[in-house]
Parts: sequence; C-alpha cells; structure tokens
Amino acid sequence: MRGIYYFAVMTLYSLFRRRTVWGVAILTALALAGIASIPAYGLSGGGRFTVDTGLTSIEIGSLVLAIALASGIFPRDRETRIAFPILAAPLSRTQYLLGRYMGTALVQTGFIAVWGAGLVAIIALKGYPMPSDMAGALLLLGVEGCFLLAVVFFFSFWTSPPLNAPLTILLFILSQMSVRDFTGLMPGAEGLMRILRLLLPHMDSFHIKDPVAHGFDVSPVYILLAALYGLAYTAFMLSLARSVLLSRDLR
Amino acid sequence: MAASLPILVEELSKSYPSRMGLRRFPALKNLSFHLEAGEILGFLGPNGAGKTTTMKCLLGLLKPTSGGISVMGHRPGSSGARACLGYVPENPDYDDSLTPLELLRLLAAMRGFDSGERVLKALLARVGLAGWEQTRMKRFSKGMKQRAALAAALLGSPSLLIMDEPTGGLDPAARKEFRDIMLEENSRGASILLSSHILSEVETICSRAVILARGRLVREGSMSSLLSIEDTYRIRASCSGSLVEEDIPTGELQSRIDSLRASGCEIVEVARNYATLEEVFLAATGSDSG
Repeated sequence: MRGIYYFAVMTLYSLFRRRTVWGVAILTALALAGIASIPAYGLSGGGRFTVDTGLTSIEIGSLVLAIALASGIFPRDRETRIAFPILAAPLSRTQYLLGRYMGTALVQTGFIAVWGAGLVAIIALKGYPMPSDMAGALLLLGVEGCFLLAVVFFFSFWTSPPLNAPLTILLFILSQMSVRDFTGLMPGAEGLMRILRLLLPHMDSFHIKDPVAHGFDVSPVYILLAALYGLAYTAFMLSLARSVLLSRDLR
Repeated sequence: MAASLPILVEELSKSYPSRMGLRRFPALKNLSFHLEAGEILGFLGPNGAGKTTTMKCLLGLLKPTSGGISVMGHRPGSSGARACLGYVPENPDYDDSLTPLELLRLLAAMRGFDSGERVLKALLARVGLAGWEQTRMKRFSKGMKQRAALAAALLGSPSLLIMDEPTGGLDPAARKEFRDIMLEENSRGASILLSSHILSEVETICSRAVILARGRLVREGSMSSLLSIEDTYRIRASCSGSLVEEDIPTGELQSRIDSLRASGCEIVEVARNYATLEEVFLAATGSDSG
C-alpha cells in the first residue's frame, strides 16, 4: 500500500504541474459562469433547467476530464521511459497501475466536487429551492467519473491516446442505451445484442438528474446500490487493465 | 549456486513479433552468463546486439521467450528482486515536473526507506547535484538527469546495480566521477552489471566482461584473459646501436633471449603482449558478423 500511496502522490504532483489540469479548471469556471447566466425560464421554473443543465454539464465534463487526464499517462510514461526505472525497482506493475489510478481519481473526484459545489452555490445564489437528492446525484456522478477513468486506463494500455478517446466515448454512449434501443442497432441479431448489452456497463444507473431536477425523491437504497455497482464495475475494469499491463512487454 | 549469484542467465532467448505479427525477430539467442558477487561485469556489444533487451529481461520489463533468469536468487520483476537492485537506464528520464529532492523523497518512501532530508541531500551532493535539489528536472541537462538517475539507483545502497550506458553523453570529468562512484559502490560490496560503449572505462573498472553480437555471446572472460594475445611476449633489444622489437611465443622466450645475448644484443625490455579492449571487441564482434 505504501508504494501505491506514494506513487499516487507523485502522480498528483505531476498532474497539478501540467497545463492540462489548469486548462480544465479554466473551462470549469467558464462553464459555471455559463450555467449561472441561464435565465429562469417560466416553463422550467424553480431552477429545474439550471439543475438539469448543471448536472449534465458535470457528467460531460467528467468524461472529457477522464480522457484528458488518463489517456496519455501510460503511453507518455513508456515513450519518455519514465515507467522503466519505476517498474524496475520500487513498484510492481499492479502498484504502478493503482498508484497512477488513485492519483488521477483524486484529481477527477476533486474536480467533480468543485463543479458540484459551484452548481450548489449557483442554485443558492439564484434563490432556487435546493433539490433534496442533490448530494446523491453528485455522488453518483463522482462514481461514474471514477468508472470512466478506469475505462480510459484500460484502453490506454493497448491503444494510442487518439484511439482511446473515441473508444471511451463510444462505450459511454452505448452504456447509456436501454436494452430495446441497443438491440435495435442490429435487429437481425437480437439475442446476441441483448447478451452484449447485459455485459456492457449500465451507466444509465448513475443518472438521477431528471427526478432530482423535477423534485422527485430517489430512494437512498437505490443511490447506495448504484454506487456499489459503479465501484464494483470500476474494480472489474481495473482488473482487466491490470491483466493487459501484466501481459505486456515494456520495450 | 543460483541463489549465491547476483545474476544468473541460462539459455535466454527473446524474440519480438513483427509489426503484423506474422514473423518473429530474434533479439537474443541462447544467451548464458553470470555475475559473481562483488564483481563489476562489463556487458559489451555493438548497437542492436541485445544488451538492453537482456537488461530489460533482468528487470522484469520484458518476458523471455525461453530460458531462465535469476536476480539475487529471485524471479526478475518479483518483489524480492526489486528490493535489492538499483537501475540506471540509458537516457534516463523521470517525471520532469519534480525536483530531484522530491523524486528521491518519493522513491525512498515507495521503497520503505526511512531516509531523512539530510541523507537525500548528501546523496544528491555525492552525484554532483548539490545546489540543484529544489530545481525542477525539466530545467536539467542530459548529464544532470543522468546524475539524478544515478542518485535514484543508489537509494538504499542496493546490493546489485544494473547500469545501461550510465556515462554516455557525459563529459570526461563527469565520467570519472561516475566511475569513482561505481568503484566506491563496488568496494562497499555491490555487484555491478555495466553496459557501456566506452571501452576504456570498462577496461579500467571491470574485472570481467561478456561481449554480445547479434543476440549471442561471442566472448567472455576475465579482463586479463580477454586482453592477453595468444600468450606472446614482446622483446625489445639494442643490437649494435639499433633497437630491435620482436613478438615471441612464451615457449620460445628463454631461448630467444639467450640467442640475442649471445649475438651481443642488450635486452632492454621483456613485456607480455596485451591487446586493447577495443581490439578484442572489434575482433569478437567482427568475426561474428562476417
């Protein structure tokens, strides 16, 4: 655990000293300013539009952030040979993966927390009623962010960064589809598509923005189960990433 | 025996798949050698001979296609092997957003060493980075990065050092500093596998050398046995005012000295013939490629 912890710290140092993170921070500030300037339309009064747009923006931001943070880490470590002395002496490959993941996940979760706090501040400043399940919605977006990060890590061990981004976005889109919509993509192979959909993650489980925006209650048990599902799937993706990394020759 | 040797390589082969994966290109072919405890072994070969591939197999970064490797009695890449080795890569690069002091502090923490700031600064001073402890490595020259990599490898005084061209690109003064550190580490008891193209350096500090060409071992032995030329001696004698030089096989040495003396020559010098390591290297690798 010691090796993972200190490598995560090294990853944090590295990420905070790169321009990427600060670029994302500036975009975040602009996005929050944009959300704050959304007028309270009569049709979607009570700040529903702001809550809905804000949560959707956080989700999209989380996807972009995961790709920006993680898609280039391993290819860069290999290209610049940073990985070699690290893997030769202090760390095993599993520790390397988990250290990099933990450091990146802290940045990802931190950003989602800042975005969430920004959204809550905007709702409060505008005098809109605070949705009761706002914290649950943000928690699930955080879990989704960690899951997306694990997906990006998995792809990063066997693809290049330019390919990683479309693969992650494709998985993001497919994982939001209902079984009916998904099987409709290939009507001739409904059984196969149904099995494939069951195997793919169900990221729609993380989305409670509609009930939250419209003031409906979401069961805490549902939020807990969805969070556990997300964490379990994250662990599964990381174990797949580990298998790929362990099987690789580091030339 | 394997447990007592810092490095034991037996019949190691490694091949890489082609880009399309249809063919495999051999990088190492049945390579066998060992590093004895407390020695500095020169690991030589032309570019593409398989030195870095061998080192990466030793470090667990590459998986051998066949053959056996033991590092300090452990499987390469295992926690046992990683715990007792230091590695200086060719063209070293660490995260350049870090300062060397941060790098050492984090690496020491990862390895579980309780190294205080003073110890780490002393280590940086030892490799010539005094005054640069708090400077981010993105401002470092190649030579300074090599010094930082050497400091990282020396953390915790490892019993085995694997060094892949550690002095390539350094100026002569820095090369001497590196050589001195290697010798100090060796006198402390560390075993060193040193890959280098600077043959004079290898000749100076290594007790033994192995020479690779095209993935095969082509010469191996102690430095004195590699450098001695077929057991011959050079006689220099002054005969009637002119200097005569002759290379004589050991078996004929005494009779030739006697005959020179009998003919009135004065023996000036008798010395065993040695080749330079460069000559041995070129002969060994040239014969293989030819």
